Amino acid sequence: MKINPEQNCPFNSDYAPFGDVVLSSRARLARNLEGFPFVNRSTTSDCMEVASLVSRICTQDDSPLSLEWIDMDELDEITSQMFVERHLISSHLAESTHPRAIAVGPELSRSVMVNEEDHIRIQSIRPGLQLQEVRDDVQKLDLSIEEVITYAFDEQFGFITACPTNLGTGARFSVMLHLPGLRIVKDLQRVHQASEGMSLAIRGYRGEGSGTIADLFQVSNQLTLGETEEHLCNILSDEFLPPVIEWERKARMRIAKEQPSKLDDQTFRAIGVLHNARILTPEEAMNCLGNIRLGICLDRITDIDIRTINRLMIDIHPGHLRWKYGKELSTDEINSRRSDLIREKLGA
Amino acid sequence: MTTCDLCDRPAIYHDVRIVNNVHNTTHLCAEHALEAGVNLGPIDLSVVFSTIEETLEHTSAKACPDCGMTIAQYKKCSLLGCPTCYETFKEVLLPIINKVQNNNTQHVGRVPSQMSVDLNRHLQIRKLLKKLESAVSQEQYEQAATLRDQLRELHESDDHHEN
Repeated sequence: MKINPEQNCPFNSDYAPFGDVVLSSRARLARNLEGFPFVNRSTTSDCMEVASLVSRICTQDDSPLSLEWIDMDELDEITSQMFVERHLISSHLAESTHPRAIAVGPELSRSVMVNEEDHIRIQSIRPGLQLQEVRDDVQKLDLSIEEVITYAFDEQFGFITACPTNLGTGARFSVMLHLPGLRIVKDLQRVHQASEGMSLAIRGYRGEGSGTIADLFQVSNQLTLGETEEHLCNILSDEFLPPVIEWERKARMRIAKEQPSKLDDQTFRAIGVLHNARILTPEEAMNCLGNIRLGICLDRITDIDIRTINRLMIDIHPGHLRWKYGKELSTDEINSRRSDLIREKLGA
Repeated sequence: MTTCDLCDRPAIYHDVRIVNNVHNTTHLCAEHALEAGVNLGPIDLSVVFSTIEETLEHTSAKACPDCGMTIAQYKKCSLLGCPTCYETFKEVLLPIINKVQNNNTQHVGRVPSQMSVDLNRHLQIRKLLKKLESAVSQEQYEQAATLRDQLRELHESDDHHEN
């Protein structure tokens, strides 16, 4: 495999608009091939045939996409877990056993999952608020794939998907938000209220419902049918996010002004834990990183780059730690390595 | 649950009569009760629900002609089997689509461009292979020979295209 997950990460980039509140933007398109049953009713040979047809996007000589084709059965378990943690593939794709593949950009921000719930899932992820950019990314991939295969399409229902919740555009746009300010001033309800009437879903980081860690929330469009891709993207980027970003920034300023001691205590206590702990669970590490992130955004800390924190929020997950340290680690060893890595990156 | 005296559906009309110390009971489903001229009175929601369930049960017996999926299987896994399922089960799926897509049932987004020549040929080959398989299993050898010739032509044009 030519790609290098250590060096290539979209979160290394300097460019992250509204990066104090928006961690990342993601777009996904669901597509199926005409003339084939959906993956859940496909035979092994159907899956192989679909994969072979889609693989042409990587083998065309003049392809501008520069994607690398990886047969999932040839991908080792640790790299596969790391790809799940980077949202390049779903855990469903990683854990399935039927023939499936991923075409991935070397920069590790664009990917095409083959034979997931739908035959094709096109994705792009970028740091900060870059919803229009990720929409462009997936549209380019979509048009290129369409040159080599024909999508299942219906005039009424649009792009046909295995689940009716993805019908129509097949498009899902989402952002990962860091909202510690609104949590501290107890105003998160306002975000939920703002989403009402916009058909948006808000969920905690890697979880269902409102429970979350490190004050991270994922917001995405619920509807996929009856609106254009542009409209679905704009609801999130132009209608929902501007007021939410403003509320979060104002809440942070209020905390800095009204509760400076509490803010400093929270920030430097988190640094203290990360500098000194020798065993860290993902939850504890993430919560501390979230608190330090708030301190950086409010200039309480000036010697830590926010990109270091953003990268650590990805690199401390088990797949990444196992990939970096190159061996099978037990949960206790992973928790220990996590603390080592954080100390190294924070210069402790 | 008590079933109808005249069929296997659930009974929603129950009549008990005692004549000369002899009990006579009648249990009828909605359809047979109406046929028998029984006045069911104001609409009973339980009857409506059971009728919907019944419709679902009837539809669930229907299988998609392309992939064999039934509605009962869809209800279990929430995934359809193939594009044709949307046509086959449209009656059942429309209310579900309405619900999950906030009453939107018409696509207004991007439309794909023309089907590629390559894939069109590929799809034709798949369809002909299926027909050929069925013709052979039914011992319709004349039809099978015609299909084989058509397949050969397509393969030849494929080779020509690749060269």
